[in-house]
Amino acid sequence: MRAREVVIAFSIALTVLLLAYVIELGGLGPLAPHTLRDIARAYLEYVYNPWNVTVSSMALEAVTAIVWDYRGLDTYFETSVLFVAIVGVVTLYRGYRELRGLGGAGLSEIVKTSTRVLVPLVLVAGASIAIHGHLTPGGGFQGGSFMAVLMVLLVVVFSLDYAFERGLTSSRLLAIRSAGLVGILLTSVALIVAGAVTGASAYVFQNMAREGSDLTMPSWLLDRPLGGTLFFFNVFESLAVVSGLTLAFIVLALRREEVDQALATGEWYE
Amino acid sequence: MSDYFSLMFTVVILSLVVNIGISLYGIFAKPSLVKKFIALTILSDSINSFAIALGFRRVVGSYPGVAVLADVPRGPEELRQFSAVSVDPLPQALVLTAIVIGLAVYMFLAGLIMLYYRHYGTTRVDVARGGKRG
Repeated sequence: MRAREVVIAFSIALTVLLLAYVIELGGLGPLAPHTLRDIARAYLEYVYNPWNVTVSSMALEAVTAIVWDYRGLDTYFETSVLFVAIVGVVTLYRGYRELRGLGGAGLSEIVKTSTRVLVPLVLVAGASIAIHGHLTPGGGFQGGSFMAVLMVLLVVVFSLDYAFERGLTSSRLLAIRSAGLVGILLTSVALIVAGAVTGASAYVFQNMAREGSDLTMPSWLLDRPLGGTLFFFNVFESLAVVSGLTLAFIVLALRREEVDQALATGEWYE
Repeated sequence: MSDYFSLMFTVVILSLVVNIGISLYGIFAKPSLVKKFIALTILSDSINSFAIALGFRRVVGSYPGVAVLADVPRGPEELRQFSAVSVDPLPQALVLTAIVIGLAVYMFLAGLIMLYYRHYGTTRVDVARGGKRG
């Protein structure tokens, strides 16, 4: 046991020293340089560029533009990974039942009242982070997880029974989660469908007009930039994230009586 | 000013590296799965902060700005001014992806650990090794 701890401590100290040495040598590039990398400058200068629309995403926020436009396919698969993980959690607990009336009245009346005050505030703040993702820092995932925290708070403060009574059942949450993912999929092929109808060519994940395709998503809504697909992606992603995270938390918070069946199912496989 | 800045930046980077080492120790040496899990989240957060620090830059006579246009630019000249003071947005976008995927992995791991606890009655890997049922 003693030797094992010494080996672990020694190898970790060595790792830290070697990492620090590599950074000191400049192995990760210059730290805090005065100039930007070329690719970063390109992203920053193209993010809202009506004078060169074929490379622009017409949004004001560079991070959202990279996440959902320039690297949109990456993000689509990333949100699929999140979906698969939630399906995995539900599958781990396969066979669980949602029981009502197990007791559990939640926390005290003071906590409940202050949580009721919080609900609209957090929902509005989360929706604003998600919907303004193409204008201000934030986006669909950030806004969605912001609202998911509220759902977790509701389950903890008002008890799981209350959540089931108010319709936060796992089948409904999974349906909303899937609807969000389908919305993302439809947004990504929207211009392909439009092109098939009108006979023009278009690309998957196309946002603004690109070289070889004049079709474009709307870049302005009333008096402010819309960012084309970015707005729709953010809205659908926030729906998907808030329902998915809530579902995962509800499954993790299930009571013993509810997962007995699931554990018994697991024992059949042994 | 510049020397002080460099020193503090080096301190931040080195403390992140040390943080990575400590969380690796937690993952390897702690017997409890919950503590391994916490150490894993600290490892991932340290690496994410590290990646964002790589996108940091210096601007002469001022602080660098966020990668968000404050207003609709009126000409290409404003875009050049924007890119002259803004930080690198690419590491932030990659870290956002990493956070989402990390969250997915954590949820799955948390579900596994809770099933492990309900099966063995403990989260310690060294106690449950014999297949003893709790």
